[in-house]
Amino acid sequence: MLKNITNRYIHLLFIAVGIFLIQSCQTSDPVDFSTQIKPILNNKCITCHGGVKKNGGFSLLFESEAFANTKSGKPAIIPGDASNSEFIKRLHTDDPELRMPYEKPKLSDDEIEVLTRWIDEGAKWGEHWAYSLPEKIEIPKIASEAGFAPNTTTSFLQNNIDNFILARLESEQLTPNEPAEKNIIARRAALDITGLPPSLALLKEFENGNLSYENYIDSLLSKNTYGEKWATWWLDLARYADSKGYEKDQGRSIWKYRDWVIKAFNTNMQYDQFTIEQLAGDLLPDPSIDQLIATAFHRNTMNNDEGGTDDEEYRVATVIDRVNTTFSVWQSTTMECVQCHSHPYDPFTHKDYYNLMAYFNNTRDEDTPSETPVLKFYTPTQQKKVDKVLNWVTKYGNKETLKTYKDFLHFSEPVYKAHFFKEFKNSVYDDHASVVFWDDGNLIMENAYTNKANFVYLKYKSHYNGTKMTIRKDNADGEIVGEFIINKEKYTPVTQFPIKEIDEKTNLYIETQNNSVDKEVNILNLYWVGFIQDIPGKNQPGWKDINTEFVNTLNTTTVTVPILAENPEYMKRTTQVFDRGSFMTKTDTVEPGTPETLNGYNKEWPQNRLGLSKWIVDKKNPLTARTLVNRVWHQIFGRGLVSSIEDIGSQSDAPSHPALLDWLALRFMNENNWSIKALIKEIMLSGTYRQDSKSTPNMYLIDPENELYARGPRIRLGAEAIRDQALAVSGILSNKMYGPGVMPPQPDGVWQTVYNGSKWEESKGEDRYRRGVYTYLKRTSPYPSFLTFDAGSREVCTIRRTVTNTPLQALVTLNDPVFLEAAYQLAKKNEVVGDIKESIAAAYEKATYSKIQTSTLEALYELYDKSLIAFNEDPEGTSQFLHFDEKPTAELSALTIVANAIMNLDEFLTKG
Amino acid sequence: MKDLIDKLIQEKLAREAEAKTRRHFIKNCAQGIGGLALSSIFAGCDPLTTAPKKTQAAFSERDLNPLATLAPPYSSKVKSVIYLHMAGAPSQLEMFDYKPELQKFDGQDCPQSLLEGKKFAFIKGTPKLMGPQAKFKQEGESGNWVSDYMPHFKKVVDEVAFLKAVHTDQFNHGPAQLFMHTGSARLGRPSIGSWATYGLGSANQNLPGFVVLTSGGNTPDAGKSVWGSGFLPSVYQGVQCRSKGDPVLYIKDPDGVTRDLKKSTIDAINKINKQEYLKYADPEILARINQYEMAYRMQIAVPEVMNINNEPENIKQMFGVEPGKESFANNCLLARKLVEDGVRFVQLFDWGWDTHGNVRSGSIDMGLRNKCREIDRPITALLLDLKQRGLLDETLVVWGGEFGRTPMQENRGNKKMAYKGRDHHGDAFTMWMAGGGIKKGACHGKTDDIGFSGIEGKVSVHDVHATILQQLGFDHEEFTYEFQGRNFRLTDVEGEVIKEILA
Repeated sequence: MLKNITNRYIHLLFIAVGIFLIQSCQTSDPVDFSTQIKPILNNKCITCHGGVKKNGGFSLLFESEAFANTKSGKPAIIPGDASNSEFIKRLHTDDPELRMPYEKPKLSDDEIEVLTRWIDEGAKWGEHWAYSLPEKIEIPKIASEAGFAPNTTTSFLQNNIDNFILARLESEQLTPNEPAEKNIIARRAALDITGLPPSLALLKEFENGNLSYENYIDSLLSKNTYGEKWATWWLDLARYADSKGYEKDQGRSIWKYRDWVIKAFNTNMQYDQFTIEQLAGDLLPDPSIDQLIATAFHRNTMNNDEGGTDDEEYRVATVIDRVNTTFSVWQSTTMECVQCHSHPYDPFTHKDYYNLMAYFNNTRDEDTPSETPVLKFYTPTQQKKVDKVLNWVTKYGNKETLKTYKDFLHFSEPVYKAHFFKEFKNSVYDDHASVVFWDDGNLIMENAYTNKANFVYLKYKSHYNGTKMTIRKDNADGEIVGEFIINKEKYTPVTQFPIKEIDEKTNLYIETQNNSVDKEVNILNLYWVGFIQDIPGKNQPGWKDINTEFVNTLNTTTVTVPILAENPEYMKRTTQVFDRGSFMTKTDTVEPGTPETLNGYNKEWPQNRLGLSKWIVDKKNPLTARTLVNRVWHQIFGRGLVSSIEDIGSQSDAPSHPALLDWLALRFMNENNWSIKALIKEIMLSGTYRQDSKSTPNMYLIDPENELYARGPRIRLGAEAIRDQALAVSGILSNKMYGPGVMPPQPDGVWQTVYNGSKWEESKGEDRYRRGVYTYLKRTSPYPSFLTFDAGSREVCTIRRTVTNTPLQALVTLNDPVFLEAAYQLAKKNEVVGDIKESIAAAYEKATYSKIQTSTLEALYELYDKSLIAFNEDPEGTSQFLHFDEKPTAELSALTIVANAIMNLDEFLTKG
Repeated sequence: MKDLIDKLIQEKLAREAEAKTRRHFIKNCAQGIGGLALSSIFAGCDPLTTAPKKTQAAFSERDLNPLATLAPPYSSKVKSVIYLHMAGAPSQLEMFDYKPELQKFDGQDCPQSLLEGKKFAFIKGTPKLMGPQAKFKQEGESGNWVSDYMPHFKKVVDEVAFLKAVHTDQFNHGPAQLFMHTGSARLGRPSIGSWATYGLGSANQNLPGFVVLTSGGNTPDAGKSVWGSGFLPSVYQGVQCRSKGDPVLYIKDPDGVTRDLKKSTIDAINKINKQEYLKYADPEILARINQYEMAYRMQIAVPEVMNINNEPENIKQMFGVEPGKESFANNCLLARKLVEDGVRFVQLFDWGWDTHGNVRSGSIDMGLRNKCREIDRPITALLLDLKQRGLLDETLVVWGGEFGRTPMQENRGNKKMAYKGRDHHGDAFTMWMAGGGIKKGACHGKTDDIGFSGIEGKVSVHDVHATILQQLGFDHEEFTYEFQGRNFRLTDVEGEVIKEILA
């Protein structure tokens, strides 16, 4: 009996197992929207049923749209019921008018099957991986850690990064390369961290074992050259240039911002703080000068000074650029699409764009040629006077007056610029952001607020003596508020005139009279009108002197940098949606707000740029940290973990190592407290990074892009690094930091811009040999050799420099006088008289940080030989070639040719 | 392993040596006949699928040489384009768009209805209409109108197809030039020449595929971005060849270095780089070897093609060249030489067409007449010379500015100006095309009686672009490049081929 029961039980068990097996074969895991459904929708459906087009009233962009009624009055997708869902029926039908995708090949059986199953399972709408970030990532366990892996694997595993990399390599049955030789990894790391080859002293310490690899990396990270190298990357994103762009492309003094970036990297400013200061430094409580400089990030937008352009149109273009750049730089998201319509692929709406625009739409800059607001940098003597005024205001005023005076002394805002003027009579809005007055000229300043001031400040250029200006309330018949005489001025001063106190917003009528001048003659250009509350302590002795000191200080000339400054409440602009992206057709008014798809907005954050920047660096934001770690990884490996470094979203490439991306992002925010140096160090210490970069044709076939990291990175150096390295190895690189852009020699006639008198004035002395990051960058005509090596013109945010390989690059490194001078210096400094081979070997080693191979030496020696014969036969050629040498010899000429060849080797131009 | 690499290097060299064979391969590939094997070798041959992508097998021809020739996806009418841009915007009303009615209204106030909702760069208040300042005649068999500012042009008037009602939405030089050359008024998009070179490569591996020549003393208002490559790889940007100084930057060997010595240098570099390839198997190294060889050849070919001294005297006279100077005539002759040598896209910019009437050189009656004189003979010669060499059939010549000019006389600052001038005007202006596949003597589009707006056959800048691409063998809607997660086109989301001017 017992036996029977047992038998029966076993029998049942078999049946149960059988059913289970059948079931598990049939049902597998539930369909995953993000990885299985969304790609099909994006590739096959969304062109006609998405952001731009919603054919048949059906859109698959947002969950709410996908399940809503279509034109037919019914929803196309009925969750749980695929067979009754029009969405599925249309995939099957044979009627070409009905079958979807319309006029395109039918979906595959697998695709239809998975879509059907998804609907039957309830059509669960999922979120794309990019829009949520997990809280924790497990580090993959590696078989080798259990002790049965080959030696290569053991030496490969240097830190946790390698676990992620090796797990993937093992799944592909690949083994990583051996670690690179010490000299190779030393050069690679130095180029990656500092953009320069290592100093010989440091290299020696590392090579002879006095310095561990980790200490070697630390030592590189502590050098000032680190900030210069990584600033170059950030300045591409910030679209930093020394000119304004567009037709006139006049110079712009904004190098203080470049220096700020270099310092921020060198002091390892936390990335969250780095972000907040650049986006909203001006809105921080009592911002420091440095925090104001940081806001120049968004003053790198172009400024159009071309005659006849509408300043408002280009101000709006600037604001749009700021929205787009902010999202490109911090969120790997292309917002350009959303300017005109809801995003075709990513879950961002048309309105999201204008909500974001509202954050940026209230700064004081207005595309004027003067680029105000610009922050003034006073000399110590000037600063004493500034302090005197501010001390007075501190003593007699309150916090608010102090801020007013600080701001006005530092950047002369807020003021009403010429755009605010209307109803011109015998006056005209001039092209250069001023209003021209004739005799009997007048205009209206609408809705002005005078801050209860007893003075008005005017910035003007007066061409005649004795012009009477009258300011009235409302109109020509209104009460006189102020009346004064303006005389001829050589410059464009800011002058203070007394007015009556007004305590309300009012229209002001401004009029000029000058009977001594003919009609229709320009007597005065008025740039702006400002009202700030009076300097406090009026009854105190010394007030008059302070007031005079204040006005004098406003008229000092200083170094400046354009910055962001927010409109005061009474000058706020409203933001409206532009219909189909056109600034001419404005519709609904919107308030600041962030896209719903991303993290929530903390109520404690203000609804301005400061709040927005805090939202961006909130640890719940799924894109900020991923974007940063992905791009730093790209800088080092030449490829991002998400290879589309511009875009992390539903159209981006799938990450090669998704878990590693998230692990790095979490670690960057949490354990490493937003430290970029810590992130770089972690990557550099990995065995992944330290591998030899050798490949084989077979390996290349398996993994041409080195997506799996079975070898180390091997990438051509960037434009600046190629020049910097040549100057460095030949010993002529200047280590001078900071200051205005320099103009090293470039061919004549490269600068040729209309209506622009500026000239390329060749720098003198060591400024000719400064690092590339300091080279003056004119947008319409960048330094030619950098342009040839793929540096951009920085008109807009550059996320990636596409690396090319062209004959024009060969011409630069072969023939550019900069490279010839470097070759000459390399030859001269390594010439061992009487031993040519020794000289060649020394020059080669100095340049490439490798010992010369016999075959290389032979090839170069042969070149030397041929060159020597040529120069011996042609003494005149020798003196022409080495025209900068006092006594040029054929030997040194030949060695210079060899040095030039060395500096053109792939090995030299590449970090290997 | 060495055998395999030698084989790869050998294959590469063989491909170069036998250009014919290569063209054959690529042609097959692009037409989809070559099948799987070839598509893996020449993986970059399908410009329709965004950027040339490396596939699983080996490296593509384009990896070694980004300017390798590719056949267009559709049959093309022309191999090359010469685009003549009059920077500053020439007045259609004094050159090709004859408006006798405008003469009748000369000096009268412009009707308010025309001014409402319009923005002008400088015109303020109510300007006065100004009649044509040139005399017009119908010329050639086509009977198309040409003014006496262009006396030579009548000889070729039957070769060209006019577009009389082109419009643009930009009325400032910089943005309008960008729009005209990149399809967008903002910076950052590739120029037409970059698209063409990216899609087709270059037929002459010793010369750049996209050459830019400037005259008139200045580069265009929008700067070098009008021949920039935008988001396309920089190898596809226009190479400015200069008539003064080195024709291409750094193309001249340093003083005292002979050609032989440069050859030895490059030989040594490439010899060592081949060893480097044996060690690292990185195809970038092979590409570099290739580029150094090409650089050496360019150093010979570029100065040669840029030298007009050796042209026969009658040709020099025909164009009216001034050797050694920077002139539009020289550039027209150079343009012919360049397309003759297989350059894909030649872009000429002539500066100085902004005739506001504020200075004599910028006046409609004097300055403009002089500018026309500078281009009339060279352009006529260019078309005739291309024709007599049988090149006109395989070249597309495009002429135009960034916009047109107002039928009203400019009144900057609401005042009478020193000279007669016209303001910027984007609503209707004239362009023309000539060459392969273009209907000879056609005239498409019509403006109203005073030339203010198009009333028939209006075409946009995008339409012009769509037509140029069509002549090169592309469907402008399919020819895309993926950038920042989006597919970009030269024509953005607009553009229709102007069939009316196609033969």
